[in-house]
Amino acid sequence: MRPAVRTLLTAALLGAAAHSFGQALIFKGGERWEVNDPFKMDTSVPPKPLIDPKKGTISSIKGTVVRTVNAGGTDIESTRKLSEVERIIWPNSERLAEAQLFVSRGEPAKALDSVEPIIKFFDAFKKTPGSLWLKASMVKLDALDRLENDAAIGSFLDNLEKNDDGSNPELANKIKLARLMQRARRGEHDAVIADATELIGKLDDLDVLARLHLVKAGSLLATKKYEAAMNTYLRIPVFYGSQAEHLPKAMLGAARAFRGMDTPATREQKLEEVSNRYLRDLIATFPVSKEAEEAKKLLPKEDRLAAEADAAKIKDAAVLPDAPAKPDAPKADGANNNDANK
Amino acid sequence: MVTQESRTYKLAKAAILAVLIAVIPATTVLRAQTTPKPAAAATKPPEDPLAALYNKAMAAMDKKQYAAALKNLEELEKKAAALPPFLQAVISFRKASVFYFLKDWAKADAELNSFLTKFPNGTEKFLDDNDNMRGVAQLTLVEVYANQSKWDDALKLLQVLRTNPLIQPKDRLNAYTLSARIVEEKARSGSEADKKQALGQAVGLLKQATAGGLGTPEAREAGMRLVEVYTKLGLVKDAEQLKAEIDAKGTGSPAEVVRSNFQRIEIGDARFEAGENAAEQKDKDELYRQALASYQGALRRATVSRSVTKAVELKQADLDKLVKENAKPTPEATLKIEAARAEVESFKTIQADFEKNKDYDAFISYRIGLCLLELKRPWEAFVAFRDIFENNPGFSKVSGAYYYYILALREIGRNAEAQAKCKEFLAKYPDAEEVSMVAVILGQISQDREEYEEAIGHYNWAKANVKKMDAATLEEIDFRIICCLFAHVEWDKARVALDEFLAKHQRSFAKEQATYMRALCWFYQGKFKETKAGFDEYQAAYPKGDFIADVRYRQAIVKFGLNPPEVAETLRLCQEWLRDFAVSKNEAIVNQIPEVHTLIADAEIRLATDLDRDIAAADKNVRTNPEPAAKAKYRAEKERLEKEKEGHTVKAIDAYVAAARSGRTNPNALEHVLRELGKLLPGRGEHARMRDLYREIYDWNHADAKALNYLYEVIKATERMGDKPEFAQQAEAVQKKFSAQLAAARKKVDELVKSDGKPADVKAAKDAVAKLSAELAAELDVVEKARQASILAAKGEALGILSGAVAESINDRRQEGSEKLILFLAEKLARKVKRLKPGATAAPDAYTAASAEEEITRLLRLEENKDSLIAQARGFFAKGQLAAFLRDPAKTDFYFKKISANYKAEELSPTILAIVGDHMLARGETKNSEGYFQYIMEHHRSSEYADFGFAGLAEIRLGQKKHKEALELCAEAIDNNVTMSKEKDIRFVKARALAETQKYDEAKKEFEEIAKTKEWKGETTAGCLYWLGLMEERQGRPAEAVGYYRRTYQAWKKYEVWSAKAYLGAARLFATKLDQKQAAKEVIAEMLSKDRIKDTPEAAEARTLSAQL
Repeated sequence: MRPAVRTLLTAALLGAAAHSFGQALIFKGGERWEVNDPFKMDTSVPPKPLIDPKKGTISSIKGTVVRTVNAGGTDIESTRKLSEVERIIWPNSERLAEAQLFVSRGEPAKALDSVEPIIKFFDAFKKTPGSLWLKASMVKLDALDRLENDAAIGSFLDNLEKNDDGSNPELANKIKLARLMQRARRGEHDAVIADATELIGKLDDLDVLARLHLVKAGSLLATKKYEAAMNTYLRIPVFYGSQAEHLPKAMLGAARAFRGMDTPATREQKLEEVSNRYLRDLIATFPVSKEAEEAKKLLPKEDRLAAEADAAKIKDAAVLPDAPAKPDAPKADGANNNDANK
Repeated sequence: MVTQESRTYKLAKAAILAVLIAVIPATTVLRAQTTPKPAAAATKPPEDPLAALYNKAMAAMDKKQYAAALKNLEELEKKAAALPPFLQAVISFRKASVFYFLKDWAKADAELNSFLTKFPNGTEKFLDDNDNMRGVAQLTLVEVYANQSKWDDALKLLQVLRTNPLIQPKDRLNAYTLSARIVEEKARSGSEADKKQALGQAVGLLKQATAGGLGTPEAREAGMRLVEVYTKLGLVKDAEQLKAEIDAKGTGSPAEVVRSNFQRIEIGDARFEAGENAAEQKDKDELYRQALASYQGALRRATVSRSVTKAVELKQADLDKLVKENAKPTPEATLKIEAARAEVESFKTIQADFEKNKDYDAFISYRIGLCLLELKRPWEAFVAFRDIFENNPGFSKVSGAYYYYILALREIGRNAEAQAKCKEFLAKYPDAEEVSMVAVILGQISQDREEYEEAIGHYNWAKANVKKMDAATLEEIDFRIICCLFAHVEWDKARVALDEFLAKHQRSFAKEQATYMRALCWFYQGKFKETKAGFDEYQAAYPKGDFIADVRYRQAIVKFGLNPPEVAETLRLCQEWLRDFAVSKNEAIVNQIPEVHTLIADAEIRLATDLDRDIAAADKNVRTNPEPAAKAKYRAEKERLEKEKEGHTVKAIDAYVAAARSGRTNPNALEHVLRELGKLLPGRGEHARMRDLYREIYDWNHADAKALNYLYEVIKATERMGDKPEFAQQAEAVQKKFSAQLAAARKKVDELVKSDGKPADVKAAKDAVAKLSAELAAELDVVEKARQASILAAKGEALGILSGAVAESINDRRQEGSEKLILFLAEKLARKVKRLKPGATAAPDAYTAASAEEEITRLLRLEENKDSLIAQARGFFAKGQLAAFLRDPAKTDFYFKKISANYKAEELSPTILAIVGDHMLARGETKNSEGYFQYIMEHHRSSEYADFGFAGLAEIRLGQKKHKEALELCAEAIDNNVTMSKEKDIRFVKARALAETQKYDEAKKEFEEIAKTKEWKGETTAGCLYWLGLMEERQGRPAEAVGYYRRTYQAWKKYEVWSAKAYLGAARLFATKLDQKQAAKEVIAEMLSKDRIKDTPEAAEARTLSAQL
C-alpha cells in the first residue's frame, strides 16, 4: 500500500483527544475537573489566591478536591479524593518558573522560598502523571546545590529516596544525578566521570541528560582534562539547546575549558579569544544569571566593561527576557503533552 | 553557504526521509483489512456447509493464505445465489478484500464497484451494527484507484464522499485528507508549477478538514498532513504553529509523539533548505538558527525507540486484556480482538523497521553540525560531527560527516588534526564522493602553512592512493604541486612539471598561468635568453593577460641582467611600465610598483658605478699631468664625471625612496630598499631624509610586527642628525684658515732658530705660534660645542619621539609592545647616567639617577596620564627597570613593591605581571604574586609569559606544602610545552615536589637531569645537589647524603642559600649519624669562616650544634 494512504488511515487508531484549557484533574474513568491554581494571586494587599467558584479547590492536607456545581438552580458541592486522580494537567506554574529564575540568578534562598509550597502542594499526588512535584523537587535540588549545603542536599535526597519505590524511573534517575553532583563536590571526579558517562547512555530525558553532561564536564575540568571538558560542555548547546536553563553553566564551563586548552602551542587557535567570545555571549544572553557574574570576572577588564555596557543597553531597551522560556522537552510517554506545553 | 557540497546534504535528506516513511506509525491495516469478519455467520449454525466454507475462507485470510481464501469465497459465491442480499454483499466485500491484499488492483476495482453498485445497503448490520461497510468500500476503492493512478476516478469518488450527507463524519474527514493526498500524487509527475498548484489545492482541502477543530484523531491526521504540505510550500511558520496546536490537542500517545518528532525534522529541513536558498546573509543566519532549533528539539533514537516499544506494549496490553475478558468471544468481541491483533502486528512492523535503521541519531547530529558550520560556530560543529564518530561510527553517510568535520577542524585552526583526518578519510573511503575535495584539502593545509615539501608529499600521496579522483581534481593537484615546487624554488622540477602539465592539460584553466610560470622558472635560474623567449611567447599569446604587468617588468629585468646590461633599455621599459600601470588598483600590480622603482634605482646605481673607472682615470690624469692646462682639463673632466655620478646616485636614491614609500604591501621589496637606503643615506649625511622615511613607514601601522624596528631607526637617524656635516665643514674651514698662518708662523720660528735669531725674536715668534694654536683650539672648541649641543638636542628629540611612541600605547593594557619600548627608553636613559665610584659625589650639574628618573617620568607623560592605572603602573615598572639598569636593586624592589601593593592583576599587562610577580616571589612575598600568576594562568596562557604563571604558582604551592597541586601545575606546563624560559624552574619545582611526596626515584632522575644540563649551571645546580643529599638523608643513607652536601658547598659556595644548608646538613650527619664529631666541628668551622654564610639562619643553627658537640 502507498505510504500516503497508509498514513492517512493511521490516525483512526489513535486514542481520544484530551481537551484541556487550564489546570485540571482527570479522575479514573475519565471525569475531568477544572481546578483553581492556588499559586495564582490577585492584586490585593496582601495578595489572596484567585478563586474561580466554578472550579474545584484542592486541599492537599485533607487529600481532597471540592467542587460546587449548580444543578437546576441548586448548588451541589461534591468532594473527591486526590488518590482517585489518574492524571494531572497543570500548565507550568509561574511560581516554579520564578523559582527557576532565582536559581539561575544565584539567589537560592529566594528560590527555596518559592519552590517549597509547590512541593508541599503536590506532595499528595506526587506520583500522578503530570504532577509538578518532581520538577519542583529538581528546582529545590538546584537551589540547594547553589547553596553548596551538602548536609541539606543529603537529607533532601534521603527523603527523595524514601519516596522512590521504583515506580517512577524519572525520580530514580534524578536522584542518581543528584548523588553524582554530591560526589563531584566531594572531589570523586574519576568515579563521577565514569558513572555519568554510563548514565548518559541509558537516559533520554533531555533535562537530566543536560545536567549529567554538566556534572561530567565539571569533573573533567577539575581533573584538567580540558579538551574532554570542552567537548562535554559544548554538547549542551549543540544537542540540548532547548534546555535553556543549563546553557549559562555550559557556556561558562566551555569558556573555562577553552582557557585550559590555551597554550603557546595552540596559539593559532586563539583559544583565549574563543573563551572570551563564549563569556561575552553568556553575559549578553543571560545577563542576570549567576554565571554571567562569574563570566564578568573571567573576562579581561576591557571586555568586561564593554560587555557590561552592552548588557546595560539591553536592560535599558528592556526588550529581552533574561532566559528564554523553556519549552518542555517532548516526552516519550506524553506525560507533559498537554495545553501547558503550548 | 560555508559548504559548497550540498550534494551530501541532499543525500542525507533523502535517507532521513526514508527513515521517516518507515517509521510513520501505520498503526493500522486498511479498513478493508480491519473490517470484521462475519464470524457470526461462521459460527451459527456450525453445521451449515456454507458457513463452514465461509469460516474456512476467513481462516485462510487469517493465515494470509489469500489464494485459498479466494477459492473458498468463489465457491461460496457460486452456492450463495439464494442467500439474502446482505450476505451476498458480505461475500463480495470479502472477495474485494482478498484482491486488495493480493494487490490485484484491477480485480479489486471491479469487485468493489460491483459491491457498491449491487448492494445499496451494503452489508447492512451483519458486520457492524453501525456500519454497512459502504463507506469503507468507497475509501478502499479510492486507494485502489490511486494504486492504479486513476487519479480522476479517485477524486470523483472522494468528492462524492465529501458531499454525501449520509456518510459518517470521520469518513468525510478522511475523504478530505485523502483527496489532498491524491491531488498531490496526481501532480507528482507534472511540472513544478503543477506540483505547487496541487499543494495549494491540498491546503484548501486540508483546511476544510481541520475547520471543525483538531478534536478527533481524523482531524488531527488532516492537520498533520497540512503541516507537511505547509512545510513543502515553505510556509514554515504556519506549519510550526499548526504543529504546536496539534501537539497540544494530541493524546500524547507514543505514536503521536513519534510522528510529531519527524514533522519537527521536516520543518528543520525546510528551514535549512530555505537558508541555503536565501540571498541575504542575515536571512540565511536566521533560517539556519531556526533549523538548528528544530533539529535540537528532535527526539533521539533511544527515545523514539522507547516510544515505539511503548506503543507496541500498550497495544499488546489492550489485546491481552480483550482476550482475557472474552474467553468465549462473541462475534463482536472476535471482531475487536482481530482488529487489536492487526494493530499490534502493524506496530511491530514499524518497530522492526525503525530498529533496522541505525543512522537516525547520526543524521540528527549531522544536520545540527551543518547548521552550526553555516552559523560560523565551528567549535560546536566540531562537537556535533565528533559525536557521530564516537557514537555512530557505522553511519552510512560517515564520509560526509568526515568531510564537514575536516572543514570544522580547519575553521578552528586544528590543521594537523584536519590532515590526519583527511588521510584517515582517504584510506577508509576511497570511493566516497568527497574524496577529491579531501585530497586537495590534505595538501592545501601544508601549502597554506608554506610547508611545500610536505604539501607535495600529500598531493602525491593522494594521487597514488585515491582511486576515484575526478579529472578536474587531478588537474588541480598537478597544478598545486607545481605551485609548491615553484614556491620551494625548485625551478628545474617546476619547469619540467609545467611542461608536462601544459602537454597533459591542454585546455586547462591554468594554461595562461602555467605559460607565465614556465618563463619565470628560467628567469629565476638566470637563464635570460630562455626567459625572454618564454615571456615573448606569453606576451604574444596573452597581450592583455593577467600577468602582463609582471611579464613586462621581468622583461626589463632581463635587459638589466644581460652582460653587459642594457641599462638604458631597462630604464625605458621601467618608465613605460610606470606610465601604464602606476595608477592601477590591482593588488598584484600595486605590489609590483616598489619593485619597478627598485629596478630603476639599481639601474641608476649601475650607471653611477660604471662611471667610477672613468673618474679614477681622470683623477689619475689630474695627478700625473703637471702641465696646468692638461691638469685643468682633467680636473674639469673629473668634476663632470663626478657630477654625472652624483646625478645617477640622486636618481637612484629617489627611486629607492619611491620604492620604500610604495612598499607598504610588499614587505620583501620594502626590506630590500630600506637596506639599500641604509647604505646610501647615512654615508651622505642625509639623516633627516632617513628619519622622515622611517617615520612615514612607522606611521603606516604602529601595531605592525616590525613597527618597533622602524621606530628604532627613526630614533637612530634622529640622534645622528645632531652630528650635522656642517660641523665637520666648519672644523675643516677653521683648520684650513689656521693651517697657512700656523705654517707661516712655524716657518718663521724655524728660520729664526736656524739663523740664530735673537732669543726675544724667537720667543715672540714662538708666542705667535702658540697664540695661533690657542686661537685654533678656541675656534674648534666653539664648533665642537655647537656640535655637542646639536647632538644633545637630537638625542633629546629622539627621546621625544620614543616618548611619543610609548605615550601612544601607555594607556592600552593590551599593547604588549609598550613594555618593550619602556625597556628601550630606560636603557637609553640609564646610559646617560655617569657611574660614580663608591664614595664619590656627583657634580652639581651631572646627569644622575635622579635626573634619569625625572626624565623618564616626563617622557612617559605620567603626569598627563595620572588617571590611567596602567600608565601609572608602567611608570613604576619603567622606574624599576631603570633602577635595574643602574644596578640599584633596592630601588627596583621599591617600585615593584608599589605595583604589587597597589594593582590588581587585571589592571596590568602580562609582562608586568610576570616580571613583578617573579620579583616578589624571589623576595618571598607570595600574597600578591600568587594573584598575578593566577591571572597569567587564566588569561595569558598562550602569551610569551605563560611559563611565569606556571612556574610561579607551582613554587608558591610547593611553599604552601600543596605538593600535589604543585606537581599538577608542573605536569600541565611540561605536557603542554609551556616551559619556555622557565623550564629549569618548573622542573626544579617538580623535582622537589616529587621528593616531598617520597617519590625519590623520580625526583632523583629529575634533579640529576637538571644538574647535568650545562645551560642551567648555577644556583639551581647547587639546589639540585643539596636536594639529592637531602633525599639520601631522608632515606637513611647519611654517607651518600654527606657526599652530595660536600659537592654542594665545595663546588657552589657562592650560592650561600644552598651551601649554608649543605654545610649544616653535613655537620649534623657527621655529629648524629656518622659519629664523627671532629669532622662535624671542622665543617662548622669552615662554614662560619665564610663571610656570605656566617650570618645566615643556618649558621646560627650550626653554632648551636657546635656548642653541643
